[in-house]
Amino acid sequence: MAISRRAFGLGLLGLGVAGTGAYLALRDRPELQGLLGNRTELFGFIGGEKEAFLADPDVARMVGSYGLELDPRVAGSVEMVREPALLSQNPQFLWPSSSIMVDMARRNGVRIRRDDVVLNSPIVVYTWGPVVAGLIKTGLVTSTMDGIQQLDLKALLDAILDGADWSALGVDALYGRSRIVSTDPGRSNSGFMFAGLVLSLLAGDVPNATALAEFGDKTQAIFRNMGLKSSSSGKLFEQYLAGGLGAAPMIVGYENQLVEWILADPQRWARIQASASAHPAVLYPRPTVFSAHPLITIDPAADRLLEALTTPKLQELAWTRHGFRGPLGTITGNVETAVGGLLPAEIASVLPMPAADVMLSLVDRIGA
Amino acid sequence: MPVLKSLAVAALALVALALAGCDRGSLKSFSFAAGSENTVLQPLVETFCKQRNTTCTFSYEGSLDIGLALQSAEGVAADAVWPASSVWIDLFDTGRKVKDLTSIAQMPVVLGVRKSKAAELGWIGKDVLMADILAAVKDKRLGFLMTSATQSNSGASAYLAMLSSALGGKAVIEPGDLDDPAVRGTVQALLRGVTRSAGSSGWLADLYVEAARSGAGYDAMWNYEAVLKETNDRLRPLAQEPLYAIYPADGVAVADSPLGFIDHGKGPATEKFFTELLAYLQSSEVQKQIAATGRRLPFSSDAIAAAPEPDWNFDPSRVVTAIRLPEPAVIRQALDLYQGALRKPSLSALCLDFSGSMQGDGEQQLQAAMRFLLTPQEASQVLVQWSPDDRIIVLPFDGGVRGGFEATGDAEAQAALLAEVVDEQANGGTDMYACASDALRRIAAAPDRADHLPAILILTDGRSEGDAQAFLDQWRRVEPHVPVFGITFGDADKTQLDALAAATSARVFDGRGDLAGAFRAARGYN
Repeated sequence: MAISRRAFGLGLLGLGVAGTGAYLALRDRPELQGLLGNRTELFGFIGGEKEAFLADPDVARMVGSYGLELDPRVAGSVEMVREPALLSQNPQFLWPSSSIMVDMARRNGVRIRRDDVVLNSPIVVYTWGPVVAGLIKTGLVTSTMDGIQQLDLKALLDAILDGADWSALGVDALYGRSRIVSTDPGRSNSGFMFAGLVLSLLAGDVPNATALAEFGDKTQAIFRNMGLKSSSSGKLFEQYLAGGLGAAPMIVGYENQLVEWILADPQRWARIQASASAHPAVLYPRPTVFSAHPLITIDPAADRLLEALTTPKLQELAWTRHGFRGPLGTITGNVETAVGGLLPAEIASVLPMPAADVMLSLVDRIGA
Repeated sequence: MPVLKSLAVAALALVALALAGCDRGSLKSFSFAAGSENTVLQPLVETFCKQRNTTCTFSYEGSLDIGLALQSAEGVAADAVWPASSVWIDLFDTGRKVKDLTSIAQMPVVLGVRKSKAAELGWIGKDVLMADILAAVKDKRLGFLMTSATQSNSGASAYLAMLSSALGGKAVIEPGDLDDPAVRGTVQALLRGVTRSAGSSGWLADLYVEAARSGAGYDAMWNYEAVLKETNDRLRPLAQEPLYAIYPADGVAVADSPLGFIDHGKGPATEKFFTELLAYLQSSEVQKQIAATGRRLPFSSDAIAAAPEPDWNFDPSRVVTAIRLPEPAVIRQALDLYQGALRKPSLSALCLDFSGSMQGDGEQQLQAAMRFLLTPQEASQVLVQWSPDDRIIVLPFDGGVRGGFEATGDAEAQAALLAEVVDEQANGGTDMYACASDALRRIAAAPDRADHLPAILILTDGRSEGDAQAFLDQWRRVEPHVPVFGITFGDADKTQLDALAAATSARVFDGRGDLAGAFRAARGYN
């Protein structure tokens, strides 16, 4: 492709004055840069949950029309903004999964040109049909008018801290203590965000250093309860799907993960819906936190990537095929698409994340 | 990731079709380091290798050995690792050498109990808790086979489930919990139920079947649900009663059988072979064959789980409550605790060949191996340290037994033993039977032998003089029977050791490449 476009670009040049005029016109239109054949390869780190989005051939084509070819490598959001081993590789952009990471990147001396939130995805809880049925009985889960299931996360955390059995939460299919598992907050963003959410809920407000001193132990207890924690949100989601109800009853993830998995193979989903075994289910914690996905540009060439990713066309693809919401948490494109039936159009009740200082101390405490 | 994989699977299926029947760019060879429970899946993989004209080789190792190798400076030589559980990769792959780790199947580790024994214990059709198993062990109504928790995933899984249960229903084992004397006491009491240990789940199942065939049967065995199915499928034609599956209701550990790629920089063809193999293993047709072995598949698979067999309580569609595995540091502490304190202590007699043919290299390597085995700081790095409750007998021999040294597994006692061995020099003839006979006499005379797992370990480099028959006659009179393991050395003729091991339900380890490694492997069985 690249070669033929280059030939095409050279051909344009050969057309003389008119051609040169066309060339100049094209040069000023970033979305047509690719036609000129001068593709720039961009190397950067991305959170694993966006890997499938960037690998989507249609996304690659549109990014290509901006004259860009991406070489994205997966790394944990927390590590990509602070690990010397990663930063020393001179990434041209970073695409972590939380706005706090912009602040952390700056503190670690990353020379940031621009940083804009490109996508949003709320933190959700993935579980299984029999767990949802039990939690509805005990009032921890309620359904909204449009059929979205909301989880009283504070009540669940209190139950876990009290050592409540699954049966006390109405879940008879599982034996032993109730639990929820996230990724390692020191490495992966979904666990990091969940840590902030837990501390906020326990403190009853967006926590400051005083609240951390008071509720840090309880937050640590929730994470101790998880045992072995995965280093990436993608891995944890796969463990959830592979392990099923018995091995992975409840995990923390991004809203887009299940929907992306469903859209990747609709037939598989239809088969699961028809089967008698426990079905995966998504619960929206009330309140939840939004995982923003800010693109941090370091190299001037990466600015063009920012423009590409915020175009309506790419925003629509992000939503309809991968379940990501736009910069303000809203959706671009038709609500009545396949994804529209699976996800709520709006997320009510969103908490801001605690400040970066508080989060860093919290993560250190959990890891201690 | 899941989407990527599904896309890749679809794309690769097409590629696979396109390439079928033409061996353009085929890869010469590809190697696996796998847990023994995967033996049954080897033919499926080999079908794929044949399609590609690629020679596939398998080396079967304990999951912990695969983990330890990943952690070592040399790393793993194989192109792919396939241990029983991803926990060992999480724990040991600190250099992140393993790529594309993908779960192939799920296998809970459960207790199979001879059906008449299960009926006698009142466990048929009942929820059985770990506390019920403990009570049966304490009343001396139940003993079981279980692999070594420091070598094999099934043993480690059973052990971690025991620890979880002993905590009285906490969600997970936390740092500090293992210091609780009550927890230690409970688990130690449970592990007194071990009648034989092993380094491999596959070998343990063979031992159970062989013993049942010879009429000497065991009561029970901790193993994977799918291995119990294989075992029962072998017991049926022998007209032996099946193992009844007990899923401790307070939680079992579930192995996820992950297959991962190790990039040795051999080029894209090797990695491509691996991704295509993954796609093949996840294809509908192959998933059906994997399900037929009794393995549980991801719920999204369209393969139907193997049919329930209520006769022995088998149902791979039934939800089992899994224990939550603890943090890496806690697992490591638990393993040290197992090896150094909680496991059933061993009563080991080591017959060391100091005959003339061992002069030079042989002698030096034997001395080095003994230094490794009797130096706690070295042995504990690969989790084969002795516990103070162990009893060690060292018998250097040539044409006869030169003398015997007995000690506990206490660090000072080990040092004293080692001091005796370093003075030995190679010289004279070879009679391993004379040594085995002396070892057996000493084991039979040990006052607390019922509280120990007894074994004789013969290390030799060659053909032995002496009388096998006389030894075996003596062996039959000592109950419970003592397995006689062999470690070969130099240009050893294995025939005699093999015969001895077969007659005593033991096995022979090859010490020619790595003598210390062979000792480590042998320790898993004792």
